[in-house]
Amino acid sequence: MLKYLVLLLALLLPLKSFAITPEEAMKNSQAAFLYQGKDFKARVVMRLISKSGSERARELTMLRKNYGETGGDQKYFMYFYQPADVKNMAFMVYKYPGRDDDRWFFVPALNMVRRIAAQDRRSSFVGSDFTYEDVSGRDIADDTHTVLKEEKLGEADCLVVKSVPKAVDTDYLHKLSWIDKKTFLPLKEEYYDKRGALYKVFTADEVKEIKGFPTVVKRTMKDLHSGHSTESTFTAIDYNMGIEDSLFTERYLKQPPRKWIE
Amino acid sequence: MKKHYLVEFSVRHPKLVVVIVALITLGFLTQFPKIKTDTNPKNMLPPTSDVRVWNDEVDETFGLYEDMIVVGVVSDEGVLNERTLGKVLRITDEVLRIEGVSARDVNGLPTITNVTAEAGTLRVAPLMAEVPKTQAGMEGLRKDLFENPLFRGRVISDDGKTTAIYIPLEKGANGKTIADRVKEIVKKEGGPERYYVAGDPVARDTFGAEMFKLMAVFAPIAGAIMLIARYLMFKDLFLSVTLMMDAMISIVWSMGLLIALGFPVHIMSSMAPVFLMAIATDSIHIFNEFYFRYKEKKDKKAAIIETMHAVGRPVRYTALATAVGFGVLMFMDIVPVKVFGALVAFGTVALRVLSFSFIPAMFTFVNEKNIEKIAAGEETSTGRTSGFLRGLAALGAHSPRATALIGVVLFGISVFSVSRIVVNNNMVEWFKSDSDIRTADSVLNTALGGTSLGYVVALSDEDEYIKTPEAMRRIEGLQRHLEKLPVVGKTSSVVDYVKRINRVLHDDDPRFDIVPSSKEEIGQYLFLFSMSAKPSDLDNVVDYPFRKANIWVQLKTWDVEAMRSVIRAVDEYKASNPGALAFKPAGIAYFNLVWNDEVLWDMLKGFAIALVVIFVILAFAFSSAKWAAVGYVPLLFTILIIYGAVGYMGKDFDMPIAVLSCLSLGMAVDFSIHFISRLRQRLSETIQAGAPSSESLADALLWTAARPGKGIMRNAVLFASAFSVMLFAPLTPYITVGAFIVSMMLLSSVLTMIYLPALIVLFRRRLFGGD
Repeated sequence: MLKYLVLLLALLLPLKSFAITPEEAMKNSQAAFLYQGKDFKARVVMRLISKSGSERARELTMLRKNYGETGGDQKYFMYFYQPADVKNMAFMVYKYPGRDDDRWFFVPALNMVRRIAAQDRRSSFVGSDFTYEDVSGRDIADDTHTVLKEEKLGEADCLVVKSVPKAVDTDYLHKLSWIDKKTFLPLKEEYYDKRGALYKVFTADEVKEIKGFPTVVKRTMKDLHSGHSTESTFTAIDYNMGIEDSLFTERYLKQPPRKWIE
Repeated sequence: MKKHYLVEFSVRHPKLVVVIVALITLGFLTQFPKIKTDTNPKNMLPPTSDVRVWNDEVDETFGLYEDMIVVGVVSDEGVLNERTLGKVLRITDEVLRIEGVSARDVNGLPTITNVTAEAGTLRVAPLMAEVPKTQAGMEGLRKDLFENPLFRGRVISDDGKTTAIYIPLEKGANGKTIADRVKEIVKKEGGPERYYVAGDPVARDTFGAEMFKLMAVFAPIAGAIMLIARYLMFKDLFLSVTLMMDAMISIVWSMGLLIALGFPVHIMSSMAPVFLMAIATDSIHIFNEFYFRYKEKKDKKAAIIETMHAVGRPVRYTALATAVGFGVLMFMDIVPVKVFGALVAFGTVALRVLSFSFIPAMFTFVNEKNIEKIAAGEETSTGRTSGFLRGLAALGAHSPRATALIGVVLFGISVFSVSRIVVNNNMVEWFKSDSDIRTADSVLNTALGGTSLGYVVALSDEDEYIKTPEAMRRIEGLQRHLEKLPVVGKTSSVVDYVKRINRVLHDDDPRFDIVPSSKEEIGQYLFLFSMSAKPSDLDNVVDYPFRKANIWVQLKTWDVEAMRSVIRAVDEYKASNPGALAFKPAGIAYFNLVWNDEVLWDMLKGFAIALVVIFVILAFAFSSAKWAAVGYVPLLFTILIIYGAVGYMGKDFDMPIAVLSCLSLGMAVDFSIHFISRLRQRLSETIQAGAPSSESLADALLWTAARPGKGIMRNAVLFASAFSVMLFAPLTPYITVGAFIVSMMLLSSVLTMIYLPALIVLFRRRLFGGD
């Protein structure tokens, strides 16, 4: 009897460790991609490239602090350097799982902080091809996930997960994610439009280890319909710096402490 | 005689000739499966033409679409109710799934970006993601719609009864296919709402497709009518069919050649078969004369050869004149016009070759008894037609001065009317006024800002310049200036967004509905807007480095003149408000204007050259410039009267009429050539030497009117009857073509009959010399 039980366990064990559920894979991926460390800082340079090749630049410092587990609350603080006329503009987001974000803006020309309603998480982030969701994450429970296959992407062994939104409020029908089995970082994502055609592609172009955390330091989102693409490069990355809670207030939105924005 | 070698050969070896012709025809027929069609009238201008390159550049810079379909939803109780909005939402959702629709830039109530302020919170979001379920929600939507100048006249009419969905098409998508799909979608939703599908691509692609269809339907009907008319004239089915085959063979040859050379059949060349069929009617002169000759000779072969001897020269020259009339089009700038000219010129030459080979060969197969029976009816002195024609000629010959005087008066009136002609083109008006397309267009143009779209691009030579208050105010000023034009329904630009955000950020205070006073403010507002709006919202109105801005100008009509008046207004504005911004027109309305001007003027240029060349041919045909001048009169007179009528009725001189001008020249000159050649032949036969006396001249004139004149009349009637079918076509250009050709044929034949005798009598001494 015991013999059979052991055999059964032996049969199940490798399978179990191998067959991570798709939800777990997505959760791990989110943890690695968007929730790494207690807090995070980076200087972000975005190049918005139109079909004809002309460019617009966005340059900002992004600060993030986690409140709770992966998929839980987060606060973001963004301070803009470029384009020139928006220098000193600042943007703050309180992200809550399962309900709309709170967002605030500081408009230097009016010396005024304004709340801005978050409606659509699929809308463009600062005019780029990234959406707010791409920057701060999408609730795992909003989609049904299935593992399609495993395949190599370059050097990395990846799980290919198909995510189909449960509601029809997205601009895409489904998404395929290539998740690195070692780091759990998403190395590639493909978005399929409502006609089932591939229309947006995300790629993690460069991954570096910073303070022990594998971090995507260069990423691209390409819109195949419009021919538009956005390249985003992260520099001056740091983790676990001990960002104080008071940073994420209207007062500092108007006048951010120098140490965080230099 | 060497000249008639081909005829004699054909009469001697009729079977061989028929077989050779059949083989050549088969050869060309094998090319037909390779046919490629191009129904897009846009392609009249090559993709490398300046206007297309510039428009492509503008489209690329601002992420715009060449073509846009507009769907109007009209509800008499107002569209702001749950049921109608539900339909709008479902329709929009379905439209997003259509292949060829640029989904992310579809703008309607559910998708258009709305900027509002609620309790101090700025909100940038699609206007109506869901249908409001409560009274308060509905009121909120109403307020958003009517207080925002970006929406009024665009997605909601002032009376709230009409809303619209703007559907941009991806490059190369077929407007008609997508419009048909949209129609299916709205049909599913049903009433009591009414739905209208409008826009330039719908008109353009529908017209292209309809035109091909009509050609396929019309050409055979016209052919059948000609066949019946011929049968009634000659009472011999075999000969009637022969004449028909003559036309068919030349059509097969020329279309086959076109296809073999790899040219697509464009809407212009799709008209060639009908033109060739018309030109082929000229061979009726051969038949006409043949019966007269047969009656005199009673020997078929001799009659054939004699007939060809008599009519050979005029038939050759009429063919030459027609071929040249179309041939000059080959020297024009627009490729499909060139191809069309070459195609018809080739077909005309083919027709003439057939007249001297195939037709004589076929004559030899006709049953002699049949001919005898019919020929008995061909009597110039007793025949009713001949009597009538004699009367016409007598009018001119016996009272030349009075006739000429009437002519001068008519001429004056015509010249005056011609001066009133307006050159214009409106593709939507190519459809009948009760057609779906016209109705949709007029409903939407009345309720909203207009379905015709033009752009005015503001250009600076400095990055970021568009963000300056100076540039903003100049653009705004231009918008207000343009909106004064009655044809302009609405304009929008980046300035409208800036003003909107300025107001919204100041707690919706209307005093802030103005351009801010600093560049920083403008830059930050635009950035704020781009934080949440669709990227295309901004891309459509400013370029990446903020050097260029795009002003959308919605026009209430597709008249090309509307865009011309916009350009004129822009120039006025530039002159009275000098500044660093340059303005340049673009967009589909601008393309239509250029298209109209280039194609139309190209045709007119061709027409003018053909006029000169045909005079030269006449001079050669008659070996006399004097005779050429006389022969030229009925031709010029016909054209002048017809254009006079066009001007008098206030009909626009548009594309179809321009095309017809060329046809009219080639055709109308035939009658003069026949009349004068045969008259002079007759005179040389009846008068030994020297100039004819007025009596013998009058006799010869009457004979010419009665005998070859009958051929002319038959030709005209045949032609006119075939083309009269077009009067019942569903597209107005066909009606124009039908009316034009019917009146041209009848007019020019009658004018030839009256004015040639009158002029010849008046100028007898100059023309013949002597006493």
